[in-house]
Amino acid sequence: MNDFSIVLANLFRAKLRTSLMLVAIFFAFLIFGVLAGVQNGWDNIGNSGADNRLVTTNKINFTQPLPISYIDRIRAVEGVEKVTYANWFGGFYQEPRNVLVTFAVEPETYLDIYRSDFALTPAAEAAFLADRTAMVAGATLAEKNGWKVGDKIPLNSNIFTNKSTGKRVWDFTLVGLLEPAKEEANPNFVLFHHKYFNESVTFGQNTAGYALLRTVDKSVNAAVAEKIDAMFANSPAETATDTEKAFNKAFASQLGNITLIILLVVGSAFFTILMIVGNTMVMAVRERTREIGVMKTLGFRDGRIFRLVLGESLLLALLGGLPALGLAAVMLGMIRQLVALPGLELSPPYLALGLLFMLALGLITGLIPAWKALRLNIVTALGRQ
Amino acid sequence: MRILNQIIAVCTINLKSLPQRFWLSLSTVMAVALVVGVLLAFLAMAAGFQQTLNGTGSANVALLLRDGSQQEVNSTITLEQTRLIAEAPGLVRKPDGSALMSAELYVIVDAVKRASGMKSNIPLRGVGQDAPALRDGFTLVAGRMLQPGSNEIIVGQALTKEFAGFDLGQEPRIGGVTWKVVGVFAMQGSVFESELWADLPVVQGLFRRGSITQTVRLRLTGADALAGLQRYSDDEPRLKLKAFSEKEYFAGQSSGTVKLIQYAGWPLSIAMAVGALAGALNTMYSSVASRSREIATLRCLGFGGFPAFVGTLVESLALSLIGGLLGTLVVWLLFDGFTTSTLGQGFTQIVFSLSLTPALMVQGVVLALAVGLIGGFFPALRAARLPIVAAYAQG
Repeated sequence: MNDFSIVLANLFRAKLRTSLMLVAIFFAFLIFGVLAGVQNGWDNIGNSGADNRLVTTNKINFTQPLPISYIDRIRAVEGVEKVTYANWFGGFYQEPRNVLVTFAVEPETYLDIYRSDFALTPAAEAAFLADRTAMVAGATLAEKNGWKVGDKIPLNSNIFTNKSTGKRVWDFTLVGLLEPAKEEANPNFVLFHHKYFNESVTFGQNTAGYALLRTVDKSVNAAVAEKIDAMFANSPAETATDTEKAFNKAFASQLGNITLIILLVVGSAFFTILMIVGNTMVMAVRERTREIGVMKTLGFRDGRIFRLVLGESLLLALLGGLPALGLAAVMLGMIRQLVALPGLELSPPYLALGLLFMLALGLITGLIPAWKALRLNIVTALGRQ
Repeated sequence: MRILNQIIAVCTINLKSLPQRFWLSLSTVMAVALVVGVLLAFLAMAAGFQQTLNGTGSANVALLLRDGSQQEVNSTITLEQTRLIAEAPGLVRKPDGSALMSAELYVIVDAVKRASGMKSNIPLRGVGQDAPALRDGFTLVAGRMLQPGSNEIIVGQALTKEFAGFDLGQEPRIGGVTWKVVGVFAMQGSVFESELWADLPVVQGLFRRGSITQTVRLRLTGADALAGLQRYSDDEPRLKLKAFSEKEYFAGQSSGTVKLIQYAGWPLSIAMAVGALAGALNTMYSSVASRSREIATLRCLGFGGFPAFVGTLVESLALSLIGGLLGTLVVWLLFDGFTTSTLGQGFTQIVFSLSLTPALMVQGVVLALAVGLIGGFFPALRAARLPIVAAYAQG
């Protein structure tokens, strides 16, 4: 009989009690796993941007437009490699509730800057560039709305009015589907020609919602940003230029302090099991006082007794926690299908953190009973009822 | 009668012996307290957000938007339309006969959150002189009203708390123009307290909107005048506007965010409750096990199985009730009134306070008692069925 089988036998002598503790640990780590995945997706919002991409917006707020003449002036700034621009269209399909992220863009430059993120077949790209009433959409978004390449799709705008019809609806032809070109990318939007937008809206002509630029290298980012903002300082439309990452992060943080909420919930869940498992372990070992006395009489060394008890609590934590992280990974995969937030997964750092928490839980809950067992005097142990 | 006495006796013994199992009982109490605490913190968040929006707007104030707009930010109303609306029936009129109305422009500007230092969207509202009169509960808590035609702004009380740079007397720069904060207003914690107000023509000029506004607010002679106003707009081809009562407009703005918070809060709390339930079951099984001789003795003395059952159940319910109340108390002390903000449907920050209502407290305590009931039921069953001989034979 080796030590591991002693640990196993001890752990499962009170089957009901052990299963209940396993359930408590399981749910705590399930909460940890799912929320860590959400946190990972949250962190990822900022990180999906490339290092050398900057966003220039109106300094008042990013919802205020820039004069389109700014684009050429930004193109002339030293260190800027490529500039594109986009206008928020306020698009929805059929129902006002079915909001689609829709941008009017300058197609050549936009696709070029995002080539590392979004993939379009060469044929689709050529079709998109050739027809000014063409649009491209994210593949999953198109599937969700039942669109196929070649379909004529009427999109509504909750902002703009179409000059030619007097209605707030535009007709587009879907010519291509955008696929993610890298894992973190999520083309969950619709793109169409800025030219078509500009000639058909009743107001807001000759504006760019914001400018997106690629610098020659990330080392010149700060200098480029400073130069652009200085160029338009004291003009009617002052600008604010920031990296794409910082811009995305700031936007996401508007929702609230998600990290703090996750921290509080996970903290509560862990504190709960720490209390439950800790106390139960103390009790379980106290019940075995006599037995430990017998083992010591038989020549079990103190260190070995200590390791046996600690091993028991560690095994308990791992048996409860590991399947929970497995289920959390499966659940995150299911949620990912629904909300299309890339990065909604248990990344290796969070997985490691989960394992660390399991070890910590096992050590903390086992330490006191193990220490008590180690210090146990044989005479007292055998004498105790 | 005898059985009642027995139940009382067993319950007393159980509750009095609680200190013997202090640490284990405490762990159940804490587990239940944390579960209830997490649930109530989420629900208080949802309730606070909802209260802020529901508390906004009166049934007697009409809000006109371009037909098809769900939000102020994407509506447009021309000066001609504004003039036509002023002639509508059922409006409260000032002594000079003109309608009490305010055409307003709503634009989004940047402000820095005090807590995170991050840029966030806040609304800048261009208002006319009648704007305060069209909002129930508007009071200036500091400073004075803004002067028409000047770069003066007044700010909502909630906004100054949450965002830096808008204290009374400060001079924020927005759009290349320096503004001066001359007043701070309160409005019973409504959405408007998250806004900056400036003179309408000044905002129109700065944002190059000509004479365009986005909404028109009017005071109706009664809530029933709304239908008349909508008819008036429908019959006038130049109008084509949608009339809401302010109350229904804001009530419609809260549902998405409130649902999101509730959808996050309940599953998390239930998952935690299952964990706590395992802890409660554990505690109660141990309680029964440690008192098995005592229970057997009582049975020998002629006590029935039912009192033993009730005694254990009451012990479990008592522990979870204490836990539930403790969790409620902690949320109430730490989070009730805690101010935070999130992105509302109008694409701007809405500042709101967490609100722990009595109805929520009841929900928290009910969850606690549910944990106590299930956590006590099975161990109580074991207590009631305990074979006397076996109990004595043990240890």
